[in-house]
Parts: sequence; C-alpha cells; structure tokens
Amino acid sequence: MATLKAAAPRVSAALTVIRSRPYIPIVLAALLVLQPWLGVDQQWIRQTELVVILALIVSGLNLSFGYGGELALGQVAIYAGGAYITAILAEHGVGDMAVTGLAAIGLALVIGLLSGLPGIRLGGWALAMVSFFLVLVLPNIINQFPDLTGGFAGIAGVDRPTLFGISLESTNAFYLTVVILGIIWFVFMRNLVVSRYGVALRVLRQSPVLARSLGISVYRLKVTVYLLGAIPAGVAGMLFTYLDGFISPSSFTFSVAISILAACILGGKDTIYGPILGAAFIQFGPSNSESFQKYSLVAYGAFLVIFGLFLSGGVGELWRRLVSRFGRRTAQVLDASEFDADAAIPPLRGTDLRLSDVSKRFGGNLVLDRVSLTARAGHVTALIGPNGSGKTTLLNLVSGYYTLGSGTISLGDERIDGRSSHRIARAGVARTFQTPNIPEGLSVDETVESARFARHTIGILPTVLRLPVAARTRRDDRDAAAAALDAVGLGPLGTATATAVPLGTRRLLEVARAIASEPAVLLLDEPASGLDAHEVDELARLIRAVAAAGAAVVLVEHNFQMVLGASDHIYVLAEGAVIAEGDPATIRDDEAVARSYLGITTEPGTDVTGSRT
Amino acid sequence: MVTTIWAGLSVGAIYAIAGLTYNLGYIASGVFNFAQAQFVVVGTFVAYYAGANLKVSIVLAIIGGALFCAVLAGLEDVIALRPLAGSGLSGELITTVGVAVLIEGIILLVAGPDPQRVPYIQSDSFTLLGGRILPAEALLIVCAVAFTVILATLSRRTTLGVTALAAAENRRAATLRGVNVKALSLGAFMLAGAIAGGLGPVIGAKTFATFDLGDGLALKAFVVLAIGGFGSFGGALIGGMAVGLVEALSTRWLGDNYANIMVLVVLVLILLIKPSGLFGRRVERTV
Repeated sequence: MATLKAAAPRVSAALTVIRSRPYIPIVLAALLVLQPWLGVDQQWIRQTELVVILALIVSGLNLSFGYGGELALGQVAIYAGGAYITAILAEHGVGDMAVTGLAAIGLALVIGLLSGLPGIRLGGWALAMVSFFLVLVLPNIINQFPDLTGGFAGIAGVDRPTLFGISLESTNAFYLTVVILGIIWFVFMRNLVVSRYGVALRVLRQSPVLARSLGISVYRLKVTVYLLGAIPAGVAGMLFTYLDGFISPSSFTFSVAISILAACILGGKDTIYGPILGAAFIQFGPSNSESFQKYSLVAYGAFLVIFGLFLSGGVGELWRRLVSRFGRRTAQVLDASEFDADAAIPPLRGTDLRLSDVSKRFGGNLVLDRVSLTARAGHVTALIGPNGSGKTTLLNLVSGYYTLGSGTISLGDERIDGRSSHRIARAGVARTFQTPNIPEGLSVDETVESARFARHTIGILPTVLRLPVAARTRRDDRDAAAAALDAVGLGPLGTATATAVPLGTRRLLEVARAIASEPAVLLLDEPASGLDAHEVDELARLIRAVAAAGAAVVLVEHNFQMVLGASDHIYVLAEGAVIAEGDPATIRDDEAVARSYLGITTEPGTDVTGSRT
Repeated sequence: MVTTIWAGLSVGAIYAIAGLTYNLGYIASGVFNFAQAQFVVVGTFVAYYAGANLKVSIVLAIIGGALFCAVLAGLEDVIALRPLAGSGLSGELITTVGVAVLIEGIILLVAGPDPQRVPYIQSDSFTLLGGRILPAEALLIVCAVAFTVILATLSRRTTLGVTALAAAENRRAATLRGVNVKALSLGAFMLAGAIAGGLGPVIGAKTFATFDLGDGLALKAFVVLAIGGFGSFGGALIGGMAVGLVEALSTRWLGDNYANIMVLVVLVLILLIKPSGLFGRRVERTV
C-alpha cells in the first residue's frame, strides 16, 4: 500500500506528460513508418494499409459525428467516389497521385456538399436517414454509368501510382505513401481539435442555442466539419483503389457503412486517435477471419448496442478516464466568494438597444403587446414582472430565437430584427441564460475563450498549420479571457473544469464569457436566482461595473431589492404590456406595480405555473 | 398500366404498414426505432417456418408472429432504449441501428442468405379494374387501410391514445401528470412489433422471407413519414402508397435501377420543400 502511494506521483507525472505531449502517437507513427524494415511479412503490411485506409474514413466520421454532432454515413459514398475517380483516371492513363489525389478530394467535397446540404439544415434523423439511403442506392448509382464504372463487374487492373513522376510501385514505397498520408491527416485532425475550432465544436454539439448566442453560425460550422470529414474519406478511396487495383460496388455496401460506424463507436466518436484503434479492431476481427465474417453483422450490431448503452465514449473515453484519474487532480470546487472582483472590466463600446411596438403571439396567445423600451448604453435597464409576463420572450426576440410578430428592434441605428441569432450576437448582443449554459468538457478558460470564436475569426488552414497569425489570435484569446475572468474575480479558476464549479460561480462565468465577447448590449436572464445574499451583492456590483464599462445592460430579474439597487431605469411588464416605467424610486412607489407585481392583490388569470422558457 | 398501379399500391401498403408501426413507436416514445422494420422481416420468417416446417394454419402463423415480435420489440425497448431516455438522439440512433443489425445478423445465421417462399395466400392473380392483382396484394392494401383507420381512431378517440399523444408532445409534463410514460412506450413498442410480426404471412407472401429486407424497409418507412408527417397515421398511409407508386412507375418507365434512386430524390425534395411533411406542423424552437 505504501509503495503504491509512493509510486502514484510518479505515475501521475508520467501520465501528465503523456496527456500534454502526443508521445504515444509519435512513437506509434515512427513504428508504422519503420515497419517494413522490421521484418514483417507482406500480409501484415497489407493489413496495416487497410487499417490506415479504414481509420481515415472513420476519422472523418469522428469529425462530423463525434465533434460536429450529426450522424451522417455519407462517408461511404464519398469513399466510393474517391475510389472510382481514381480508377477511372487510371483507365485514361492518369496515374500521378498529385492529380488523382486532388481529383479524389475535389469529388469528395462535391459529394459531401450534395449529400450534406439538404440534411444538415434539418439535422438529426433527417440527415442520418438521407445519408443511409444514399449508401443503399450507391450500387444503383454506380450501375447507372456502366461505361464509366464497369457496372457490377467493377474496374480491374489499376496500376500502382506515381508521385511527381516517381514510381510508387514497390511494396515499401506504396506502404510509406499510405502511412504518411495517414499521419498527415491525423496531425491535421489533432491540431484542429485542440484549436479554438475544437472548442467551438464542443460548444455547438452540446448546445446549438448557446453556440448561436456566441455568434457561431451553427449551419456553417456543421457544413465545414462535414466537408473536412469528407476529405480523408476521398483520400482513403484513392488509396483503396491503388492497393488492390480492383474495385466494384460490393466494396461500398450498407454493411461497410455499418462497420465504419461500429469502428467509430468502438474507438470513441469524439477522440482523435480512437479511429485507429476502432479500425484495427474491425480489420483484424470481423472483416478478417473467414469464420468471423459469418458473424460480422451480429458482432457489429452487438458492438453498437453495447457501446451505445454503456460506453458511448468508446475505448478512447476509457483511456481518458484513466489518464485524468492519475494525470489531473480532480477539479477543485472553488467558490467565487473567495475572490474579489478588483480588476477593471475592459472598456466596452456600448450601443442603445431600442424596441418599438414589439408584439409576439404563440398560437392564439398574445404574449407581448406593443412593447416599446430603450436600454441605453452605459446604463442598467431592468425588466420586471410576474411569471409569464413575457420577459424571457422579449429577451429571446432580441436574441433572434423567436421570430418577431410585429414592431422593430434596433441596435443604435441598425435594425436587427429578422436577422438570424448568430448574426445578432455578432452585432454585439451577448446574453446569459436562466439556467447557466456551460458546455461539458471545457475548462473555465476555454469556456470564456469560446466567446471570441465568432467575433475574431481566423481560417481553418492557418489554425491547423499553426501559422504566426493563428498563434497571435490564440494569444489574444487567452489574454482577453484572462482579463474577463479577472474582472469577475474568477481569475485563479482558469484551468478548472467549467461544469464542476458551483452555481453562483457558473453565473459569474457566464458574465465573464459575455464580457469576453466585447458586447454592446448584455442581456441577463434572471442572473440572481439561486444565489445567496452575498453572491447577489457581488453580482449587482458586477452588473454596475459592466454598464460603467460602456455596455447597455438589460436585466431581467425577480429579486426586487437587487433590481432597485442595481438599475438606472426599470420597465414593469404585466401580461405582455409595459404598465409602468421610471427610475427605481418611482417604480418602488408606483401603485399599479405594487398591485400587479408585488402581490398586494393578485390579478386573476396570472399563471403562476406558466412555462418559463 | 393498371397492373403496375396495383403492384405499386401493394408494395406501398407494406411501406404504409411499416410507417404506421414506426409512427406508433414515435408517438409513444419520440423515437424513430430503426429496428422496427426488422420485426416485419422476422414476421415473414416466422410465417415461413410456420408454413413450411410446422405446416400450421395461417391463423396460428399470425398469432405466432405477433407474439414473437411483440416480445422482441418489448425487449428492445427495455434493454436498448429505456436506459437512454432523454439522452439525446444520437444515442438512440446508435442503439436502434445496432439492434437492427443484430437482428439481421441473427436471421442470416439461422436462416441463411437465400430468400424463402412463404406458403400462405398463394392463389392465382385475378383481374380488378382492368389490371392483374394477387389476392395477397389485395389483402395487403386492405390491411394497410384497415390499420390506418383503427390506429387513427384509437389515438384520437380513446383516453389511452390521447395520453400517448400528450406523452409524445412533452414526456416530462406527461410524467408529472401521472402518466406512466415507461409503460406507455413499452406498450406502444409491443403493439408495433405485434402488428409488424402478425402481418408476416401476408407480407411474406409477396416479398418472400429475405434476411436483408429490413434496412431498405426502414429507410422507406422514414421516407413515408417524411412525406406524411411524423406522428400522422393518415399521412403514413398516403406516404406509403406514394412511395410504392414512385417505385413501381420509375421501374416501369425508367428501369429497375431507378426505383430506389427516385425514392431518394423524392425524400430530398420533400425535406427541402416541406420538412415537416405534408401533414405535419412546424414547432418554434425554445430556449
């Protein structure tokens, strides 16, 4: 027991190193490259090549499904496209991989666009089923062009390629080509996942609503990752054709699609290197041994059910749990009250938010009835009223989550109603949520940095290649996040797991995230609910500070005392209409407010249990 | 021509029946149970064994298929879906696809890859309105219409049906109202399994018992619901017939190869033009 305890720190240190530096993948890559000179036989070389090809396809699926959150099996169609274009080009005498590679990637992107665009807008089942269907009709489509594709007989006799005129005919040269292309993709994938794109994807997967409120175009990001995921599948198709020199529709069936899905689930769908493991398992297991092939459907089905039920993160998740148990101390539960918000909030360029004659109906219910209000820059404008009076609906209209019934909403001189929610967020409208919306698996730092993804954009290529411009953005992201965290007093919390911090801290974290997006307008949806008296005071101070920094703050809140203390101007909503407005002193003494809101007499029909969206 | 239409409508009836049973599970539990189509296939195999090996009457084959598939569907709900309730779509998608592949694999192991003739309702075709139609085909169309009427009536006119609709709308609210959502979804799955399995002798008479029929059928059922609107029984009937006709007419006019391609084209068009289906309605998202 004693020796175990003594060893623990060392194990922990070793695993920390493993976690922060990709030593295992580097060693694995080196072994793979050197394999032909380690005296392995031809059969083993071929198996390895097949594993790399399968891993490429699975990795593309990981990107779109695991990270993008949408299950699309179009990968098989893209794989087939890459394979066929390579074979067809070979028949026409084009055998240089510089050309066929580009052609395969180009076709992959086209098929990706065609198969992804209709479904991604709808997402979920629609995308999954369209892509399943595409795989089902793949043999029909291939057979539709028998002159080009050879129909069901396929295309045979494709030679090994050249690369810029250098022959890749020898076993070792081709093997190296396969392995190096695989390594290039996985480096690309790794750099993408650990970049700000990876953070944005994790936000997107957990809460599209949150992603939109941070200015991230959900549709565009999903299409982007889906198309990126198409690239390795296209390259895999090309390599597959060159490997055997023969292809036919039987290589691109529904059960191939299922085996890819099984490999993805097995290795862990939101992992970088899991696909290699999953692909190796499928390649050396079900698709290899003759006796096992009979059972392959049963095996795939069982994998999907068992992993889907008990280990949805796959083997990769197991590994991560193991590493984090030793390598990272469990996140300390820190309380915001331990810190003081001393640091100043960076200056914000505020803009007036103006609503005029805003109305909204849900079915026959008039939820907002010609509401007009102005939230001035540098001021805190509070919105109070009983449950069901339309406060949150109003915020959701401003954020663009609901479509406006009638009226206008403008930011300064610019109308923002009718815009999609991510564009409204980019125009400078930041918000917090009634229930703090903090994605899982992000650190406090990353949570705050995610607010800068949309407003300070940088391309994927510079990010993945880690060009200086990307490094600079990264540094700016970190600095801005640190400044915002310091401003709310959460500076020391940086590396803690964001979802592990207590409720009061999570509310402050949401405010820090909003500040990091450099908002012109900040919408706060019941930020004080569930906080103790001390935390409410802290929050009130913070809200005043955000307004003092320049932003227009809109505060929806039930805590009347806090509202009186924190705001400059108060609007009172009842049953969808503004019944009073004025400075805190006026509202405190207003009779109508006392009657309808403070419960001196309760109006009939006030729905206490009404849904609070 | 009329013969082609009858052929299309009878295949469409199978799609409609599949669509109806998908709807049943969808209404009660909010899940598009990908494996549901496999119960149709299992039903045809039960009918094949009942007819060819045990040589029992069609009534026994129907009861056997219904009971067997009801139990299978119940097991699926309890084992593969209940633990995931509310965990989001991709989890349920994975396990239901998993169950479908598992069932398909088991059928392949037990019965082999060759289609088997189901020996019920095999009398000769007759002429109806100027086209030839098999008795089994006519019976399929009758069954599809009958089950549509029964299920639509049950769901609107009985307390249980309305409760199921409510549970589909808002699972948590229904639970708070004292609805046993788990029992409801189990019951709906078993009923859907029973209908799919019980019709094995009728469906198998047309399709034969074929192990890999299920994947295509599941996807066609999805098209059916995409056309008819998720949750609408009447929509499922119309959607089923539409898909059957598209297939039959594409085959006749464009060739065999086009049947599936045209159905996919229809699906994409529907999703692009009217994603909620012809009989569905749009729901505004909430925060």
